[in-house]
Parts: sequence; C-alpha cells; structure tokens
Amino acid sequence: MHIPIALGKAITKVSQTFNLGSGSTWPGEIALSLDANFLNNLSKKNPHLKIVLVAGTNGKTTTTKLTQEVLERQNYRVFRNEAGANLINGIASSFVYRADIFGKISYDVALFEIDENSLPRILEHITPFAIILLNLFRDQLDRYGEVNTIAEKWQEALKKLPKETLLVTNGDDPMLRFIGEKSNLHVSYFGIDEKLMDKKNAPHDVDFLYCPKCKTKLEFIKRSYSHMGIYKCPKCGFRHAKTSTFNSLPNPMFGLYNKYNINAASLLLQNGFGVNLKTIELGITNFDPAFGRQERIIYKGKNIFLLLSKNPASFNQSIQAIIEQDKNPNVLLLLNDRIPDGRDVSWIWDVEFEELKNAYYVTISGDRAYDMGVRIKYCDIPDSKFQIHDILTEAIIVAASRLETDQTLYILATYSAMLDVRKILKGRKIL
Amino acid sequence: MKAKNLFPKTYNLTIGWLYPELMSTYGDRGNIIVLQKRCEWRNINVRIEKISPDTEYQILDTCDLFFMGGAQDTQQEIVNHDLFGKKGSALKKKIEQGTPGLFICGAYQFLGKYYKTADGKILEGLKIFPSYTENPGENVNRLIGNIIIEPNSSTYNLKPKTYIVGFENHGGRTYLEDKSMTFATVKKGSGNNGKDKTEGIMYKNSIGTYLHGPILPKNPEIADWLIEKAVEVKYGEKIELEPLDDSLEQKAKDVVVKRNS
Repeated sequence: MHIPIALGKAITKVSQTFNLGSGSTWPGEIALSLDANFLNNLSKKNPHLKIVLVAGTNGKTTTTKLTQEVLERQNYRVFRNEAGANLINGIASSFVYRADIFGKISYDVALFEIDENSLPRILEHITPFAIILLNLFRDQLDRYGEVNTIAEKWQEALKKLPKETLLVTNGDDPMLRFIGEKSNLHVSYFGIDEKLMDKKNAPHDVDFLYCPKCKTKLEFIKRSYSHMGIYKCPKCGFRHAKTSTFNSLPNPMFGLYNKYNINAASLLLQNGFGVNLKTIELGITNFDPAFGRQERIIYKGKNIFLLLSKNPASFNQSIQAIIEQDKNPNVLLLLNDRIPDGRDVSWIWDVEFEELKNAYYVTISGDRAYDMGVRIKYCDIPDSKFQIHDILTEAIIVAASRLETDQTLYILATYSAMLDVRKILKGRKIL
Repeated sequence: MKAKNLFPKTYNLTIGWLYPELMSTYGDRGNIIVLQKRCEWRNINVRIEKISPDTEYQILDTCDLFFMGGAQDTQQEIVNHDLFGKKGSALKKKIEQGTPGLFICGAYQFLGKYYKTADGKILEGLKIFPSYTENPGENVNRLIGNIIIEPNSSTYNLKPKTYIVGFENHGGRTYLEDKSMTFATVKKGSGNNGKDKTEGIMYKNSIGTYLHGPILPKNPEIADWLIEKAVEVKYGEKIELEPLDDSLEQKAKDVVVKRNS
C-alpha cells in the first residue's frame, strides 16, 4: 500500500463527509509532507502517464479544458487539477484522487494548469511530456511580483528539462518568443493570423515593448492585443517567430484571447498527440467554456453573460469582446480586492474603461465598488449613466431590471466576485 | 462635471509625463488622467507631453508640472541610463525653480542620492531629493499593503484631519536627511522605511511618495494642489480652483480608512 496516498484519500473522505470544504489542496499537502518526493516517485511508478503543464497569466483553464475535450474524443483517459488548485499541493492532491492505493494511475494524460510562480518549483518534481506557455501579462503585482522576474525564473527552470520535452509557446509575445529561442527544448509556436491584427499605437497594458535581447525599442508591424503582434528589433535582428495560426478553425467563444487559447491547444494536440484538424474542429465546435469564462446564464428569465476579468489584459479583452456583441452594452462591473483578486486595485487605471463610453448603463458593485466608480467617472461617463450598489444581490437585480427584452447583461468580474455572483445566479456553489 | 471658469483669463498647462511606456506599471497612469480631467473640468487648457528616451532634453523646459511613475527593474535601467545626462540636469533645474512634480515609488527613489541594491551594489541617483534608499536584502520582506498617511500640514493647505490613502509595494527603504521634509506621517502601513513613520518627501514643490493606488484618484486634494502650484509658478499668480463634487472619491477613501482602522 502507498501510505501518502492512502492517508490523503482518507483525509479527502473525512473532509467530504463532514463538509469541511472542497479538500482540493490538503490531501496533497499531507502526501508531500510524508514524502517530499511524492510527485517524482508517483510519476516514475506510472511511466505511461503523459503530463502536460499549462502556464500563463490568462487562458489556462480554457486551454486545458479544451485540450481535455478533444483528447477524450480520441478515447484518451484524461484528468485535470481542480480549478484554482494550481500550486504544488493542488497538483499533488490531484494525484491522490486519481491514483489507487498502490499508487497506480489508470489514466493516459494529466493536464495541469500551473500558477506562474509555481512553475519552477513544480518542474523540480515533475518531468512533463509537454509544456504550454500561453502569455505573460502584469497581474497582481503584490502577489506575483514583476513579469520580468517571472520570465527569468521560467527561463532558468526550462534549462533543466530533457531536450525531447515539447514546448508550445506564443510567438506573438516577444518575451515568450525569447524564452523559446533560448531553450534547448523541442519548441513550436502558436499565434494568430495577421489579418486579425491591425496597426495601431501601443495600448497602455503592455509589458514588453523593448527587445529582450538588447533593450532597443521593438518595431511592431502589426498588433493583436497588449504587447503581442508581429515585431522586430531594428538593432539586433530579434524577431517574431513563424507561428501556427489555424485559420480554418472556428472560434465559438469571443475575442482574440480565445483564438490564442484555441491555437495553443490545437498546436499541442497536433504535435504532441497527432490529432487531426477535423477532430480538433469537432471538439472546438462542441466546446462548453469553463464556469465564469464567457458563461451564459439565464437568471429570472434574463440573459446574463459572465466574463471573468482579472487583470488589465483580461479586462481589456472582455470589454472588446462585449462591444463586438453590443455597441451599447448593459454592463455590471464587480471589483473585489481579496487574496485571489490581488489586494492592490491600482491596475483598474491600466484598463481602457473609456471604451464603455457608449454603454447603455454601467452598474457597479464589489468590495472596492467606489474605486471602480471613480474610474468610471474619470472616463467622462455622466452620473446619469452609472450607479454603485454596496450589496451585490441588489446590484444584480437592479442591473437586470434595466434590460429590455432580448438584451443581455454583461457581468465583468474579478475572480472572487465571479464566484460570488455565480453563487447568486445559479443558486448553488459549483466548482 | 464642468465647473464655471471663474478665472479672468485662460491658463495653459503642459504636463510632462516622464516615460509613460517604461515607468507606469501599477496603474500610475491614473494620476495623469486625474490631473488632466480636473484641469479640463475647470477650463484650464492642458497638454500632455510624453517624454521618452527619444525626446530632446529642451522639451523638459516647456513643462509646468512633472509626473513619473514606478517601474519594473529592466525598464528602470533604460530610464536611468537616459536620465543621466542633459535630461536629468534639465529636470533638476526645473524642480529647483519650483516646478511642481509627483514622483512615485521607483521614480521617488531615483531622484534621491543613491539606491543600494539587495546585493549591496550602489546605484547613483539624480541627487535632487536629499534622501537615499537601501534594500535590506532578498530575504527581508517587501513592504506591501494598504497605507494611510496624514500629510504634514505645514507643507500645504489641506483641511485638518485629511487622510491620504494608497497602496504601497516596495523592497527599498528610504531615509530622509532632514525629517522635516517628510510629505506625511504614517498612520497605518510602512511608509518610507517601516521604522520612523515618515512617508515620502516634499522638496520645493515636488512630492516623492511610495503611494500607488494610484494616489491622485482617491486623494484629489493633492491633484488640485499640484495644479494650483503649476499655475502659480508659471503665471506668478495665486489662484483658487473651483471646488468639484468629490463625494465619490471621498467614499472610495472612506472604504480604505474604515477597513484599516
């Protein structure tokens, strides 16, 4: 019998029986404290298991979920870590659930979304079959620190992996392109088609405008969003990678950011698992987005569209996506500052809320609703077009009551606010 | 939101935004938006001059108010390189002449005498502010969290008991050579160094501070003070800005104060 697993499973059972929370991290915590090499030992015991790690600021959940759906169509047995449990203890917990008490895992593929900061530590414990690096944006600087630091840590951590490891990364992102170029791994790049990009000035939410090699300002021939696009360094010649753009594949979700997620998953499926385009297309067409990510909910007969919006790049993409749908959207903005949201709300000033100037109405709530209210006021949106509610339920009811028939209420919420609002809309907690 | 123009003439202000692409990581752009809107709402003409490494140093001479935000290390290196030279001297001259300015976090540190890095390296500063900053090392915690300060009332006209709120996130500890120059006293949080209760510096008409948040949206009285000073220095006339309805800003401030007391 495998002691850490048996104990972990017992703990899970106890915590479920007595309803002590989802128990998604502490079975793993216990397994790791009994055996520091728990993850390493377990993967050695299961050499058939292909482990895929997905890291990046935005899009991890959508990309892993989509990959799983397509692989299952191909009859692979696949498991993922639970949403949010993306630190090392969450990964270990996931192994505890899926292994039998002898440590045997009867799955073919493990798909793990990984917290940006935890990737280096997890790579000390696990040798993955493939890694997807999606993107890197400023996010919760109080918790994650600066994006350059994360990029450096990633670069170091990748050096220790065997050469045959697949690295699937974003050729439109200068820093990830640089990491790919520097690594000795089997690298392939995804991106989006040039036709989906345009030539505009740098937006404000950018992090990498200077050449990662020689620190000269990069020339952008075209941009997709944030600091991504087609670029070259006028001094040292560093340039955009040739990318796979999967132009024939549909994007049933909205926004360029989801096209990136789809292309990342597709490239891995193609290169790592030999899945053909037809099967990928079928998976995408039938894809049901993860909770809170472009989720459609009917609440008291009203159409609600919920978009997790957690940092400047993600918020800007959500705003673009809803404007594509509705030029005068009815919007509910929810801003919290709890640990999973980041305690510093300064970042809302890096978001182009000015784009909401033609909104039908803007309703605001959340722990830091007044900070959001001030932000909206300074977009020159008149007092008659926005309102703040301290109580979330009230905000939802009032915002929904403003809807005409056929109109949709677009809810843009930070992480913990998204969970709160979902609880109210669905009447129960789903994780 | 517009206030009437009660001024007998039109004022024109140029705000010099130092390195918007490089030094603007923590939503510090909000400070520029607030300065711009609060001028416009009073019918003061305002122009934003973005200063980048390609900008000629003479441009700094045309600015009536400066702003510079915080940055990440790599970006800061590019800026430091650019400011040692004619641009730095031009900025120093303007600040010494009384042109008002707001310098946040990394910018505040860089205007001081030096910055001692976590591994003990000394990086020269611009030597405008009589202050210096030391990073106590990688294994000492950064100072992170909501911060509430009370401005040093002798430095400028604020109503008594006005609190300033923001969010700080810094590894370096800053020390003032003359503590009477402190911008504010720490009520909650760490401030300059987590020890002596000082926060920021007030040098001539320029403010150096660790407050992100950003600082001006929730503390519009400081924005107005900077605008009044800019007009005063440029036109040689003392003006009093028409008050605006700041009830929303006050509520946002109250949330932070209430939660942290």
